[in-house]
Amino acid sequence: MPLTELNAILGGPQGSGIETSMMIIGRALARRGYGFLANREYFSNIVGRHSYIHLRVKSDEYPRSLTYPVDLLVAMDAETIFMHFEDVSNRGFIVCDNASLHKTLEEAPSIEDITRERIKKRCNELGLDCSVESILKYLAEKKKASLISLQYEKIIRELFDKYKIDPRQLSRYLSGIVFSAFAVLLALDEDSLRYALSLHFKERAQIVEQNMDLYRIVVREMGGYKGALILAPPRINQKKTMFVTGNDIVAIAKIVAGVRYQSYYPITPAADESVLLERYSFIEDENIGPLLVLQTEDEIAAITSAIGASLTGARSSTSTSGPGFDLMVEGLSWAGMNEAPVVITYYQRGGPSTGQPTRGSQSDLFNAIFAGHGEFARVVLSSGDHLEAFYDTILAFNLAEEFQVPVIHLLDKFLANSTATVSLPRLDEIKISRGAIVREAKEYKRFSLASLVSPRAFLGTRGVVMWYTGDEHDEYGHIVEDPENRIAMYSKRIKKMSLIKDRVPSEQKIGIYGDRNPDYMFVGWGSVKNTVLEAIDVLRGRGIRAKYLNIKMLWPFPEREFVEAAENVPADRMIVVEHSYGANIAKLIEMNTGISIEKSIVKFTGRPLTLKEVIEGFELIESGKEKKVVCRYGA
Amino acid sequence: MERRNYRTNVWVDWCPGCGNFGILTGIYRALEELSLDPDRTVIVSGIGCSSKIPHFVYANGVHTLHGRAIPFATGIKLANPELTVIVHGGDGDLLGIGAGHFVALGRRNLDIVVILHNNGVYGLTKGQASPTLPLGVKTKSLVEPNIQNAFNPIMLALAAGYTFVARSYAFDTNHLKNIIKEAVLHKGAAFIDVLQPCVTFNDVYTADFYRKSVYKLEDDKAWDPYVRKPEEAQEKMLRAMEKALQQGEKIPIGRFYVNPFVSTFEERISQRLKAYPGLNPSNSVIEVQGEPVVNQKNFEKIFRDFIIETQTL
Repeated sequence: MPLTELNAILGGPQGSGIETSMMIIGRALARRGYGFLANREYFSNIVGRHSYIHLRVKSDEYPRSLTYPVDLLVAMDAETIFMHFEDVSNRGFIVCDNASLHKTLEEAPSIEDITRERIKKRCNELGLDCSVESILKYLAEKKKASLISLQYEKIIRELFDKYKIDPRQLSRYLSGIVFSAFAVLLALDEDSLRYALSLHFKERAQIVEQNMDLYRIVVREMGGYKGALILAPPRINQKKTMFVTGNDIVAIAKIVAGVRYQSYYPITPAADESVLLERYSFIEDENIGPLLVLQTEDEIAAITSAIGASLTGARSSTSTSGPGFDLMVEGLSWAGMNEAPVVITYYQRGGPSTGQPTRGSQSDLFNAIFAGHGEFARVVLSSGDHLEAFYDTILAFNLAEEFQVPVIHLLDKFLANSTATVSLPRLDEIKISRGAIVREAKEYKRFSLASLVSPRAFLGTRGVVMWYTGDEHDEYGHIVEDPENRIAMYSKRIKKMSLIKDRVPSEQKIGIYGDRNPDYMFVGWGSVKNTVLEAIDVLRGRGIRAKYLNIKMLWPFPEREFVEAAENVPADRMIVVEHSYGANIAKLIEMNTGISIEKSIVKFTGRPLTLKEVIEGFELIESGKEKKVVCRYGA
Repeated sequence: MERRNYRTNVWVDWCPGCGNFGILTGIYRALEELSLDPDRTVIVSGIGCSSKIPHFVYANGVHTLHGRAIPFATGIKLANPELTVIVHGGDGDLLGIGAGHFVALGRRNLDIVVILHNNGVYGLTKGQASPTLPLGVKTKSLVEPNIQNAFNPIMLALAAGYTFVARSYAFDTNHLKNIIKEAVLHKGAAFIDVLQPCVTFNDVYTADFYRKSVYKLEDDKAWDPYVRKPEEAQEKMLRAMEKALQQGEKIPIGRFYVNPFVSTFEERISQRLKAYPGLNPSNSVIEVQGEPVVNQKNFEKIFRDFIIETQTL
């Protein structure tokens, strides 16, 4: 029976090309009209530690979430087997290196001791001797798994003999075995593979040919397994699809929004966005740029130089993660005081401190909303998926300029590092709105009290002179400590919040999904959206009606919209879902609406919530066994 | 926007006799003699007594955060390279909390002038020791003599890559004015270390002290700080460093090192973004009547690497 969906893990040491394998597989599948979603998990390490791709392919829709167990595990090394053998489903498939078979747990040195002990304990429970062989035997017997062990080295040597490749290059071709084995099981056609390889390796035609040859060798070696995991014909019917990570789509959106200055200090998982922007910094024929992408000496310079650029009229932004944002906070406060538009794209990772630098989290909600001394208007936006992130990036620049406030676009590592097939955005729906701009003035007052948003002149405008200061100031921007002026200026800056609330359409504040009269209402923000939406579909199949509120504008908090959307649901039927310890959105909701939500499904291991966890979490809450479910699945 | 008077009507609130008055006069005169347009000039400052200076000058003023004047100025200058950008800050500001940015500007050689108001103390917080106060010196409000050593701003500027490095004295406004003018006209990162008495908190490095100890490098006819051929750069820098090390009873002021042969950051950028600086972030088009310059058609062309045309079998 052809499959309508396939879940898989590809694992191997960091630096061994596991991401390349994913890109080839994903693009080949996208070419053939399938939906694809993949998350990348890796250590803060360049070479050697365990990294893996968790992916999902669907024939009938773009996959929204990832889930366990997986139908297929492709292992580059023994460690992958030890780390993921319990992820494999009944009748699943395992592809591994023949040379890994005799390896024991002790021979996988990069496994952390704590993890090793846990695996050892689990092996003991199962009566296994902590070797790959015994684990595979167990999977074959208990789970009826199919084991495909290939001689990786022999396969690559055959290729090397043909092309006279230096044997020291061996590790660079491991990715070829992984995508080939995957392609064989799914019976992907050669043309789609060639297409994906050509996109990936661009002008390097010989590498494409070598990989195609490698694929043919793997086909021969895998013999009867071809098509063992064959997918049903695709029914998504999109002529074109984007194939992007979260970092990619945000960078692309910034180009559309007209960003002209982007500063950054290298940090995971934000830096890729800036690197991509640099590739598109000047396309003369298309009126793109010049966009200045500046790698600054620190995040303080990143935010302050972006504000400086913004004062000249350039659309400006910076991209960072938690530790970098912390350094930016004084600059943020200056932007608030000086009503300077600037966009901060904030990809959350696991804190506090360095925390888990390559893992995800949503634990910085309060940091984004409340960081900074003094009180001032700001906007904090979140996005539930790649396409939302595209539109929200543009919205962020528009709000920043219309209301002259700093805007924080709060994303996370899960989105940043997820590669997905995404519908093409609709450009005709996009407006660029720059707010009130002064092109000439007799006697200009930058901070005129005539309106809440004082029309903005740019530094350099002919005939106009202005002052900015972080001190309290008069309408001209000169330091003034007069109490009456203080009241007028301070209030003006804060009152912009109600203006923002009035002007932003409700659907851009909260997305409402699912049943109108639900038995349960899930509440969340950011990257949990699609996992919850899929969970709602599953629950509907069980006769449970559920609804999801995707809070997109986190600040100023849309209390009116929230209360309306929550009207017919008692608080004890509301469940918060968040990648954090504290389910912090519940506290934000209570602070703004008085509605107290006590039930939550949270995860703070740094690994993404999966569909299975949300369902199981719901079951525990519904049965009354738990109020707060802490999820922990995933290597 | 021509103007001969660069004064604002904001009351200048420095202590009577403060060295900042001399520097402010130097700025007024330099702007006047260069006839800089107030609308095309930006004075950027940090925090401290000296950093209030933008409010006293009729030109665009951006009074920023402690230590951060240079990165604010960097963003302003990069986004609109047609503007004349002058940074003011104290020694605690530019060389203490903002030292990282000070070094970064030298590496970039961006066309900005940095004027250091150097008085050895943190005045506005009542006289703590700054990074230019020598070890063992006890100024008025220190409980004990300074336990940290000073570093040499001229040496640091040279090491960081500033291509115009000079020193002046706050109350020699003619000398200072001339150096500011030259720094503004110099293409690249310019640094002026301005020695400045703090009448209230620095009772060691006073106006009397400076009157006796400063001497002008240009009085020595043989002194030539200008790199006139690229191959002279190293030799001239070594000589500048030698002069910079004179810090005892005789303190040299004047130009230490001027090298016009190092590419400016603007030039480096224009190598990559061909239309820059003529076309730049502040004057390039991003929308036409609210429509982005990227539309459906060119979107697919520009981002073709991220778009897959599906072809089902």
